[in-house]
Amino acid sequence: MSNRYVEMGLSAPVNLTWEVTYQCNLSCVHCLSDSGKKRPGELSTSQCREVIDVMSANKVFQFSIGGGEPFVRPDFLDLMDYAHEKGILTCISTNGTLIDDETAARLDHKLVYIQVSLDGATAESNDPIRGHGSFRRVLHALECLKKRDIEVSINTVLTRLSFPELDRLAELAVSFGAKFRVSRFRPSGRGKASWSGLNVSGDQMLAFSDWLSAHRGVSTGDSFFSVSREDRKGLGLNMCGACKLTCCVSPLGHVYPCAFLQEPEFFAGKLPGQSFSAIWNDSPVFHSFRQLEIKSCESCHRFDFCHGGCPAIGYHTQKKLGFPDPGCLANCVSVKPPAASVA
Amino acid sequence: MRLDAAYRLEDGVQVRRENFGLLFYDYRGPRLYFLPSENLIRDDFFQGRQVAGDLVESFHVENGLPRETIRARLSLIMEMLLSKGLVHEQPIC
Repeated sequence: MSNRYVEMGLSAPVNLTWEVTYQCNLSCVHCLSDSGKKRPGELSTSQCREVIDVMSANKVFQFSIGGGEPFVRPDFLDLMDYAHEKGILTCISTNGTLIDDETAARLDHKLVYIQVSLDGATAESNDPIRGHGSFRRVLHALECLKKRDIEVSINTVLTRLSFPELDRLAELAVSFGAKFRVSRFRPSGRGKASWSGLNVSGDQMLAFSDWLSAHRGVSTGDSFFSVSREDRKGLGLNMCGACKLTCCVSPLGHVYPCAFLQEPEFFAGKLPGQSFSAIWNDSPVFHSFRQLEIKSCESCHRFDFCHGGCPAIGYHTQKKLGFPDPGCLANCVSVKPPAASVA
Repeated sequence: MRLDAAYRLEDGVQVRRENFGLLFYDYRGPRLYFLPSENLIRDDFFQGRQVAGDLVESFHVENGLPRETIRARLSLIMEMLLSKGLVHEQPIC
């Protein structure tokens, strides 16, 4: 990844994170968007098609689809077909509970990549976080996807509960021919309330950093550049991609820098209706986000590796943008969180 | 690079114009490639409708650079794109 060219400013995002609904049939304790019921004002089918048209016209290459649970939308597969007609790759993040053989058949397309969420390697460890019966249903989804040889990964949010299960989750992924992906837990949505109880301790974050180095096949997206060691450099981003490589569209069509910053102060525009190009290029929110510098980190020896880490975690923990990511490797070494926060 | 050949994107590869040149996206990674080609190549060149020799000639006419300089630069770029599997050669005849 060339930071130099990214910093020059791209004409459009490479990837759009698109949360297509707030509705979800599960109620995970760490849900980033506090999903549950469908909310008034969610984009209709025709409005979603307009969003796809706009992104295609702007040559956005890839959608990271989330929610809510995308598959609760009756029009979801049709919308994905429409995106594929436009040549857009869709990486669909799902709880997996609604995927059966028939759905898997519709997903059997070269432009589909599926991420199925699991937060434990057994029903006993997964279901308290994601809901009773979810583990069994996810395994069924994985079977359906495996039968069709669809590209899939198991995605686990790193918490103090899932951390001890990483090896077994990685083995589970292998058994289904899937990749294994670990995502960062962030204190947005319901994650705000569960943050102090579920966030990993400093010691666990350090151990996770070692674990990642020993498991180079495990992907992390843009989640863990703040704790990645030198040997993983080049395996992903080493900076926040918000407003540079990516941005987020909410189920209401609201445009934000990223999925974890869907707060009123980060509202940049609305689709359909406004020019996406104008939002991307001229929105004051996006402009200021691109200028964001985590000053307190600039003297750190790891600054070139992380550039201050995830601004969203800094924002949510300090209630202000511009604070460093508290989960960085340097902080984990030198500043142990108080015992009460990791109990 | 053959001057009498057109070049097309491989299946699963897309390209778009950026200030620095071209940005390639390869679904098979997925992976990004940043090509600092400035204004030498338009993204629609990879639709395969124009041969490399015509591109050299039109760039020479529009910008006044020596043909050999353009040809050498274009050749380096095309060899890189071919070696990364982003494009393939498509002889016109």
